[in-house]
Order: sequence, then C-alpha cells, then structure tokens
Amino acid sequence: MWSVEIVEVEVLEKDERNVRLLIRGVDVPFVNALRRTIISEVPCMAIDEVVMIENSSILQDEIIALRLGLIPLKTDLDSYNLPQECPCKSEFGCNLCRVTLTLDVEAKEETRTVYSGELKSENPEIVPVSDKIPIIKLARGQKLRLEAYARLGKGKNHAKWQPVSMCTYKYFPKIEVLSKCDACGKCVEICPRKVLAKTENKIEVRNLMACTLCQDCVEVCPQNPPAIKVEHEEDTFIFSLESTNALPPERILTEAIKILDKQFNEFEEQIKVEKGEES
Amino acid sequence: MKIKTLKKTSNELKIEVEGMGHTLCNLLQKRLLEDENVDLAGYNIPHPLASNSIIYVRTKGNVESKSALLKAVEKTREMNEKFRKEIEKALKKI
Ligand code: SF4
Ligand code: SF4
Ligand SMILES: [Zn+2]
Repeated sequence: MWSVEIVEVEVLEKDERNVRLLIRGVDVPFVNALRRTIISEVPCMAIDEVVMIENSSILQDEIIALRLGLIPLKTDLDSYNLPQECPCKSEFGCNLCRVTLTLDVEAKEETRTVYSGELKSENPEIVPVSDKIPIIKLARGQKLRLEAYARLGKGKNHAKWQPVSMCTYKYFPKIEVLSKCDACGKCVEICPRKVLAKTENKIEVRNLMACTLCQDCVEVCPQNPPAIKVEHEEDTFIFSLESTNALPPERILTEAIKILDKQFNEFEEQIKVEKGEES
Repeated sequence: MKIKTLKKTSNELKIEVEGMGHTLCNLLQKRLLEDENVDLAGYNIPHPLASNSIIYVRTKGNVESKSALLKAVEKTREMNEKFRKEIEKALKKI
C-alpha cells in the first residue's frame, strides 16, 4: 500500500531540452497519469489559422498551412490564455490569446528554400524554436505571402500542440546473479545494452540503469533454471521527457502537476454537491 | 467537468463524469481499491472518442461510497502534492 513518506525524486539528467528522473514511491497509475497529462493536457503554442494573401508556389494552401502548424513555437504560458478561457470570448482572438506571424517571401533569382526563421512574429518571444525548419521550396518568380495566427492549444486536440516529442517511463530494473553462475560469459555477450561485465570469475552489473528488461540474458543462460534473474522494482520508475523546446522540460512537469491537481479539485467539488437523485 | 448520478443506494454509487478519461479514472480506481472499506471499484469509458466515463463504487457497507470516493481523491491529491515538492527539491539540487 502506498504512503506519501516514500515518494522521492532524483534528477538523473537535465539539459535545456531533456530531463530524466528517477521517481521512487509511486505507482503505475500515477506516472501514467503524469505522462498522459504531459502529452495531451499541457498547452503550448502552434499556428492554428493561416490567411493566404498570395501563393504562387506549387503547393496548395492547405499543405503549407499544415506545415506551418507543425513548427514548434516558443511558448509563454504566463502571458497568454487558452482561447476558450480568454476573457475576450471572440472567435478571432485578441492580444492575450493570439500571436500573429507573417511570411513574405519570393524567389527572385533562383530556386530557394524558405525556412522557419523567415516567419516574422509580432511578439519576439513567440518564435519558431529553430530557424532552420524548411517550409517550402520556391522556384524563380514564385511568391508566398501569408498571415498566420498562433494560439495555445492542447495535445488532445492536435499533435502540433504537444509540448513534448517524447515522454515515457520504464520500470527500474533489478538484476540478480545467483551463486550457481559459472561465469561462462554468455549473458555478457548477448546483452544489447552492455549492462553486464565479466570480472575474473564473476558477473557484475555495471550499468543497471541502461537495462531494458529484455530478458535476453536470462534466455541465453545455459543453466536451468537460469543463474541470472531480471526483475523490476514495483514502485520505482525512470521517467524521461524530451521537450520540443516550446517549453522548458521542468515547466512541462510542473504544469502537468498543476493541471492534475486542478482536475481533481474540480472533481471533488462536483462530488461534494452531488445530491444523489437518480436522473 | 459535470457529474450525473446514475445509481445511488446505501453503499453504491454510479456516476457519469463528463471530461474525465483514463488518465484520472485509472488513478482514482487504484486509490479506491486500496481502501479496505471498498468492495468494488471500476470505471468504463463507453465511447473511446468522447471523454465521458462511468465510475462505479461499492463499499462493504460501513461507509458511504461518496466518502470513499472523496477519500480517494484526497489521497491522489496528496501524492501529487508530495511529488510536486520532491520534484522542486530535486530540480533545485542540480
Ligand atoms: S535484461 Fe536485456 S538489457 Fe537487461 S541485462 Fe539482461 S540482456 Fe541486458
Ligand atoms: S549466462 Fe548464466 S551461467 Fe553464464 S555467466 Fe551469465 S548468468 Fe552465469
Ligand atoms: Zn482573447
């Protein structure tokens, strides 16, 4: 049974895009709720509407619009509202729920590629995460002029609003080499992650964290029953997250926790007022 | 989030919740099942595209299902809160 005291978090790795955590004392439904919330509920900015002013390229307006939508934008969650929560209540949006980006390009001399860096944003904070995302190739004389509106949205409505390119967890492995092992070395050879190592006449676990629980080492062991056991801890997880750079990874985590909390508060309130007449 | 009561007896509660999918239901079910007063707890999502769920709780009779549900929500929030604190602590360390 779970109790609060045992929850423990350790940051294994962190840079501006990735974070890898070791979480102890929680269970699968919890880490899974965290993962699902990050993927489908944490909002970020993406281009949602495009007004084509001129398009003489070979691609249809819709395809260009889709490509623009999929460009991750740096997001500022504190200054912008979700359109449905914005006080303006307008379909078109206002300064608090919409950012306008414009693109005005022409291939004057020769064929050229248009990159995300050429999008001009009205807010210098809300720009593509990279300047080098190709949008379209234009031949000589072709023009593209458009106005694009970026809004906050959630991954559950479209993948372009997903703040992460990857978010997963795995069980923390537990490997045990039994005393009857004769150090034949077969398990060391087969392990795809180089978790095991042979020292003199013993098998040592060198890199436990890298183990994928594939069980290859157990299957290859010539002894019966195998002299090596690979299991996992029930309450310890390695949680990895890779941001698209729309938001810093730690912000994604704290935002997800906030959203979970908000949803449970809302549910609690609803339950409390539940009167119980059958409807 | 909106709740509709489908069935209520002295120890049973069946509600339909609008806007609650697997994410929260699964977590809640797990916490409910850890409660020794709860006899049965489950949920069902009738349509995979609509995030409406039906939650069913039956207690062993000594407590109301509603209070068991509230207790489970409380426990979940507690875990969430503890996790938030731990993660802030861990992020500060690096
Ligand atoms: S389970 Fe797979 S990854 Fe883990 S130690 Fe065995 S062979 Fe290596
Ligand atoms: S394959 Fe089995 S017997 Fe051989 S070294 Fe590994 S654990 Fe020991
Ligand atoms: Zn607005």
